[in-house]
Amino acid sequence: MSVNNVPVGPFHPLLEEAEYFNLVVDGETVVDIDMDIGWMHRGHEFISEQRTFTQSIYLVERICGICSTSHPLACVHAFEDVDNIEIPERAAYIRTLVGELERIHSHLLWFGLAGHFIGYDTVWMWAWKYREPILQMFEIISGNRNHYGMMRVGGVANDVDPNRIPEMMKILDMVEEKMNMIAKIANDDPVLRSRLKGVGVLTRQDAVDFCAVGPTARASDVPCDVRRDEPNDAYGMVDFEVAVLPNGDVYDKFVVRVLETIESAKICRQCLERLQTVKGPILNNVKEITAGEGIGRYEAPRGEVFHFVKTDGSNRPIRHKVRAPSYNNIPTYVASCKGIPIADALITLASVDPCYCCTERSLKVIDVNHDPFKVDLLQLSREKTQRIRREIHE
Amino acid sequence: MDNNGFFEAMSDKVGETIEKKLRYYFVVDNENLLEVVAYIFKTMGCRLSTATATELYQGIEVLYHFSHDKSGTYYCPRIIMPDKKNPQMNSITPVVRGAEWIEREMAEMFGIDFVGHPRKEPLLTRNNLTVRKQPLRITRVS
Repeated sequence: MSVNNVPVGPFHPLLEEAEYFNLVVDGETVVDIDMDIGWMHRGHEFISEQRTFTQSIYLVERICGICSTSHPLACVHAFEDVDNIEIPERAAYIRTLVGELERIHSHLLWFGLAGHFIGYDTVWMWAWKYREPILQMFEIISGNRNHYGMMRVGGVANDVDPNRIPEMMKILDMVEEKMNMIAKIANDDPVLRSRLKGVGVLTRQDAVDFCAVGPTARASDVPCDVRRDEPNDAYGMVDFEVAVLPNGDVYDKFVVRVLETIESAKICRQCLERLQTVKGPILNNVKEITAGEGIGRYEAPRGEVFHFVKTDGSNRPIRHKVRAPSYNNIPTYVASCKGIPIADALITLASVDPCYCCTERSLKVIDVNHDPFKVDLLQLSREKTQRIRREIHE
Repeated sequence: MDNNGFFEAMSDKVGETIEKKLRYYFVVDNENLLEVVAYIFKTMGCRLSTATATELYQGIEVLYHFSHDKSGTYYCPRIIMPDKKNPQMNSITPVVRGAEWIEREMAEMFGIDFVGHPRKEPLLTRNNLTVRKQPLRITRVS
């Protein structure tokens, strides 16, 4: 079998992120998949070794536009782990607040995209509409809607204005109400259940074998969550549940994210309440980081973000390793995509939550029986939903 | 700190150990690597977060990061290859399937030969033939 030209992508004006998949199909069934990454390799690890500790935090913030607080948070955890540096209590609540807000807006983004892929354009527009006030909360807290610049070794850069907390509580009320509505849709809509149940199953054993993380693992009955396993910042001081479901299909991944979003809103509310009473500094004065090794991690919306640093007593790391959650989750496609209909490939790939509006445009589909041909996966996916809708309503 | 019985079971296969809060870094010889990793991954139920390769003065170092999620502890086996010109070690991918990508990445970035790896081809630079070989070693003169 030969690999021929790519119709569109992985680099294209429409794409916000470059990914490339080869799907091998036999008729309507996917029989194999191969992934090709490296299109976005920007050498962050190498650049970080030329920067001071504080500069490295700003650098890793630019790794991802959606997880723009998860990487700096894991990075400062790694630097703090070298010397077991403690942070003030108020800073801990602010870090957790920002991290959980990021989870809400990332999951809402995913709900919108997933809805669009399966023909639920109303869900798409609603989810993105409800995401907007969360970005406004970021602006209230940090002054920025994205790339917040909040994290520092030993604390945070900006305090939360107590006078703005009631305003943020109202936004959380609205988001919680709307998330409950989306949860009700997931629970009640027979079309959605038929469309997503049993699709793209990742078994528990495969999730363990591939070392999957985040909602991808938790929807396959693997209960790993950094927030509970190693509760840093304020996670040991707030109440929350870790959502774990057993089936490993796209539906369970959807429900895990819905439940997580509701839990995140609860965590944010607790943090804002404590920030009204907990006073004190937001930053410990860290003068130096000694020679050693440090591991930092944070439960990003897509799973565990991992940073490792090796220091020599100077003002910069001599080695800085970064591992994002999709690096562990994307290889699970080998297990979850084989044997599924081509119409389900799009939502199965999207269920892991890579930055996906680009991915479906850079797919190459190879028919084992014929020459390479092009198909519109988005159209196939939406047509399948319409077919199920007609069958249910007739 | 409770080490979940690891050091008792692997006492003759683990070398110099650095112990920190919820972190164990320990040296393992290449011939014992697969046995130690199998114990960590299969018996203890740890998850591989990733691995880090570093060029040091004494050689090329590979440090695996296994997370024991139940206790929040990291177990990090360390392998040091003194031969910088031809670094070679056993691949753990036959035991831990999730190690395939990171070992391919370390191989292309540092020139390490992972013996027994099922797919020896570049991961990140496959489509860019102009990239220098072993790019993460270019500023570290041996």
